[in-house]
Amino acid sequence: MNKEVEFVRCHICEAVNYDSEEKSLCRRCHSPIYQDLKISYHKTIAFLITAIILYIPANIYPILISKKFGINSESTIIGGIVHLWESGSYPIALIILIASVFVPLLKFLLIIYLLIATKYNLNSSKLDKHKLFYITEAIGPWSMVDVFVVIILSVLIHFSGIQIFPGAGATAFALMVFFTMLSALSFDTRLIKHRKRKNL
Amino acid sequence: MINEQELDNLIICKKCHTLHEKISLPNKKKALCTKCNVVLYQEDKNIIDKTLALVLAAAISLIIAYQYTIVTINIQGLEKSLTVGSLFMVIMENEQYIVGVMFIFLIVIFPITIIFSMLTLLYLMKIKKAPYLTKRLLILLAHVRPWSMVDIFFISLLVAMVKLFDYAYIELGVSFIAFIFTLILDIIITKKVSFYELWDKHTEIYGTIDE
Repeated sequence: MNKEVEFVRCHICEAVNYDSEEKSLCRRCHSPIYQDLKISYHKTIAFLITAIILYIPANIYPILISKKFGINSESTIIGGIVHLWESGSYPIALIILIASVFVPLLKFLLIIYLLIATKYNLNSSKLDKHKLFYITEAIGPWSMVDVFVVIILSVLIHFSGIQIFPGAGATAFALMVFFTMLSALSFDTRLIKHRKRKNL
Repeated sequence: MINEQELDNLIICKKCHTLHEKISLPNKKKALCTKCNVVLYQEDKNIIDKTLALVLAAAISLIIAYQYTIVTINIQGLEKSLTVGSLFMVIMENEQYIVGVMFIFLIVIFPITIIFSMLTLLYLMKIKKAPYLTKRLLILLAHVRPWSMVDIFFISLLVAMVKLFDYAYIELGVSFIAFIFTLILDIIITKKVSFYELWDKHTEIYGTIDE
C-alpha cells in the first residue's frame, strides 16, 4: 500500500476516505467530509468565544430562585455548591462542582489547547491530541446536570409556602453548554494531522 | 492509489485515529485498536435481529417513561408528582422559553427520533428493502446522536432526589423504572452495535448506491 496516501475518516458514516485537502464528499454517504480547514478553525473559535462569554452570566446570575413565604432568596452555581457543602451533602456538592464548574472549564481549556497546538505545532503527539479531542466530545453534555436539577426541583417544590424557580443563570448555562458542544463538533480532526504534516 | 472499494477494508479508530487494515473475524469476536484498545468492529451474524429486539424494547420503555409519573414527593401531606410533560409545562409557565425548548429537544424529540429511526432502519434492513431510505436514516442518526441527553437527565433526577431526601417522602413512579430500563437497553445497544458495522451491513445488503 502506498504510504504517501493520507486517509480521513468521514465523521458521519465513519468510512475511510482519501484525504484530498479540499472540500470533498464522502464516497459512501455523500456528506461533505469537511469544509475548508480555515473555516472550521474559525467556526470553532467563534463558538468557543460565545460559550466563554455566556459562562460569565451563567455564574453571575442566579440559577435558582427560592421563594419561602414571600421572601426571595437567590443562589448562583458557586453559592449552591458552597451551601450544599456546608450542609453536609458532600457527594452532591462534588457532582455539581465537577459537572457545572470543572467540566465546562476543562472543555474550554482543552479546545483552546487544541486550537493553539494545531496552529503553532506544539510538540505533543498526534495520538494524544486525537485522544484529547475524544475526551472533549465525551464530557460535553454532562454540564447540563445542574440545569436539569434546577428544573426538576422547580416542578417538585411548587407549594403555596415555598417555591423554586429557575433563574436567568439557567438559560445562560444551557446556552453555554449548547455552544461548547457546537464548538467541539465544528473542530476538524484533520487540523491535527495537516498542521503536523506541513511541519515535516 | 488503490481502488475506492478497497478502502472498505480499512478502518480508522474513533478515539486515536490510527489506521488499521481489517481482517475477517470468526463469529462473536471483536477487533481492538492496537494503540488504545477501543473496540474497532465485531462480527455477529444475527446483529440486525438482536439489535431490532433490543431497540423495540427500548422504544416501548421510552414511551412509558414519557407517559407516567417519574417520582411523587410528599412533604407533610402535600403531594407533587413529576412527569416529563409537567416539567415542560412548568418551565414554560416560568417563562424560561430557551431552557424549555432545549429541554423538549434534548429529552424528548431527539431520543424519540433516534429510537424510531433505529427501529425503521433495522426493520428495513431485515427485510432488505428501501436502500435509499435506510441510507438517509443512517445519516440522520449520525447527526442527531450527540444531542440525546436522557442519561444526563436521569443522573440529574437522582441528584435532585438526594437533595430532597431530608425533607420529603419520595415515591418512585412507573416512569422511573422505565427510564432505568431505557438506559440499560441503550448501553447494551451501544455496546452491541456500532454505526460502522451498520454501514458495513448496509453495503453488504444493498451494495453501493449512487445518489
